[in-house]
Amino acid sequence: MSRILNALRDGVGFDILLVGAALIFLLALAGAPLLYNVLMSFQQVDMFTLGALFRPFVGFDNYVAVVRQPEFWLVTRNTFIFVFGSMAGQFVLGFALALFFAQRFPGAATIRGLFLVSWVMPGLVVGAIWSWILAGDFGVLNVILKTFGIIDTNIFWKSDPNFSIWAVVIANIWLGLAFNMLLLSVGLAAIPRDLYEAAELDGANAFQRFWTITLPMMRSTIGAVLSLGLIGTLQQFDLFPALTEGGPANTSNVAGFWSWQLSFQLYDFAKGATVSVMMFLLVLFASVVYVRSTRHEVRG
Amino acid sequence: MQFVKLGLFASLAASALVAATPVQAQVTLKVWSIDGNDRPGIADTFSKEFDEANDDIVVEYRYIPFDELVNETLRAFATGNAPDIVSFDNPDFALFSSRGAMLDITDRVANSEIIGKAEYFQGPLNSVTWDGKLYGVPKYTDTIGIFYNKDLMAAAGLTEPPTTWAEVAEYAEKLTDPANNVYGVTFSARAGEEGTFQFLPIIQMSGGDANKVNTEGAAEVLDLWKTIIDNGWASRDVLSLGQWDSTGVFNSGNAAMAVSGPWEIDRMLEDADFDWGVALLPTITEGGERSSALGGFNWGIMASTQHPDEAFRLLEYYVSQEDRLFPEFGNLPARGDIELPATGIEKKDAALKVFQEQLQYAQPRGPHPEWQKISKAIYDAMQQALTGQMSAMDALNQAQATIDTIY
Repeated sequence: MSRILNALRDGVGFDILLVGAALIFLLALAGAPLLYNVLMSFQQVDMFTLGALFRPFVGFDNYVAVVRQPEFWLVTRNTFIFVFGSMAGQFVLGFALALFFAQRFPGAATIRGLFLVSWVMPGLVVGAIWSWILAGDFGVLNVILKTFGIIDTNIFWKSDPNFSIWAVVIANIWLGLAFNMLLLSVGLAAIPRDLYEAAELDGANAFQRFWTITLPMMRSTIGAVLSLGLIGTLQQFDLFPALTEGGPANTSNVAGFWSWQLSFQLYDFAKGATVSVMMFLLVLFASVVYVRSTRHEVRG
Repeated sequence: MQFVKLGLFASLAASALVAATPVQAQVTLKVWSIDGNDRPGIADTFSKEFDEANDDIVVEYRYIPFDELVNETLRAFATGNAPDIVSFDNPDFALFSSRGAMLDITDRVANSEIIGKAEYFQGPLNSVTWDGKLYGVPKYTDTIGIFYNKDLMAAAGLTEPPTTWAEVAEYAEKLTDPANNVYGVTFSARAGEEGTFQFLPIIQMSGGDANKVNTEGAAEVLDLWKTIIDNGWASRDVLSLGQWDSTGVFNSGNAAMAVSGPWEIDRMLEDADFDWGVALLPTITEGGERSSALGGFNWGIMASTQHPDEAFRLLEYYVSQEDRLFPEFGNLPARGDIELPATGIEKKDAALKVFQEQLQYAQPRGPHPEWQKISKAIYDAMQQALTGQMSAMDALNQAQATIDTIY
């Protein structure tokens, strides 16, 4: 008995206890719902059996049914456009801004701080504001584009099937920009100055310095930003009800919103769970890629 | 031994408590609705009055936001904590009545001196009926018609409001004035219940219904709508605007006609600085069959209630106060025997008369327990046709295929 207590007080036992507590917590709060979700995707779920655990098993019927939905491929295409469009936009613009504000000029830190506003605002509010900006007839964006002569006739961002998914992408880029910029700024600040000075003495130009110093040194930060960006984008929900409700005709519907629609608007909980399991596989794939790409750093 | 003593003591205490209460045991009724959040509504006001007037019944009213009402009630019913009385949006009602979650009140209504089945409009009554039995009573109702800007009409040389959809298109072309940012017409073809609300009447006029959507007439009107949008006689944003926002465009003078309902009247009186009127929803052919959307809420007693008699008394009280619905709350009663008092505002009274007439043609959405899936098939088809992704007939056929798996 005392040996166990001793082990708990100082030594391996204590470590195991701490890790174990965290693991149990994780399993109960994340693992169990996840398993329940997977289980539900193989069951026939009725509105009034929602609370039950044991329901008739239907095998892969729900998966077949989801893939056979007329909108399935459209939603898949939109999900990829939304995820990679948003991530690319957030990352490239966020990196550009981070580099810009890393230069020393008066007010740099203050202005960078102002970008936080977009990060603090709730998605629904951002959605409502962008809904006005993107309005077809009296939207600000169209007025600006017209003034600069880029377009002749108004673009109906939210109602034109060719643009609707991009309307949500634009709003989401704006929403996630500050977060990307901040994380990347921190990464930039951690690079020792003398590396740049040495490179400059050796005659490296700005592009060479960026390519051979900044990018390699930022590798792990970039990996983290991209994987967080993927998860954040797949999670994005608020913008859809505020902007397009997935319309017109599902041309701006993505997996996350579709899953919500199936579960809580159409009360088809099994199909909603099925879509979210499919999404989970996508995240799992991305996490594996991320973990593998950063593996050597852990060892080094 | 100790336990027995405790038990004895507890039962003594319990009997003392029972003895202390009045002879007539109090009954608690739980009522859930969406009223009474920002201003007094029907459910909270009437519940409070009934509570105060009856010593033997306590009414506990709970406000629940519109979007959470169905989910919350489902959860409560599944765990045995359901309210005694609840009010649902009319297309949601069948979800509960078809699964035996609502109390069958057919006989009670037949014997009631206060609730008369015959007085209700057919549409609202259908939405509380399932399998020939009555599971609730309509609470209030609304419907849609077409508002028109009389000043713009006069300027374009038009005197009478349009009566057919072909005429709507023809008028819209004449009334469109891009130089002044005026569209001929506005409506809501949104990807949601509002889209179905405005399009389903067209299907019904053409001889179809929620279970038969691929009619020639419906495809014809869809093509007309597409023409109207493609030619710029209506904003392309009707595909993403809700009814409230869409009518806002009309109120600001940027659209000459608008499809919407009586809930707009008060705002229109305030915002619209032009002469306007409202007409019955246009038909497909001259003098053709009429239909209109049916909105509004229903009352129902949940099947799990412990006090059906008291709950029905409360329901009777709600119904007995229906002549106050319009003057106090601005809602239209779902029955034809209540004279709406004149408000003295000429435009409002004229508009109300039209909506009262329109209500006779209003048909419910469903009723069907899986209404939301049917609705999505309908508004998806409408949007596919309007955006040109499919021909109107193909889109409606696809919706029909989906609907066939549900019905």
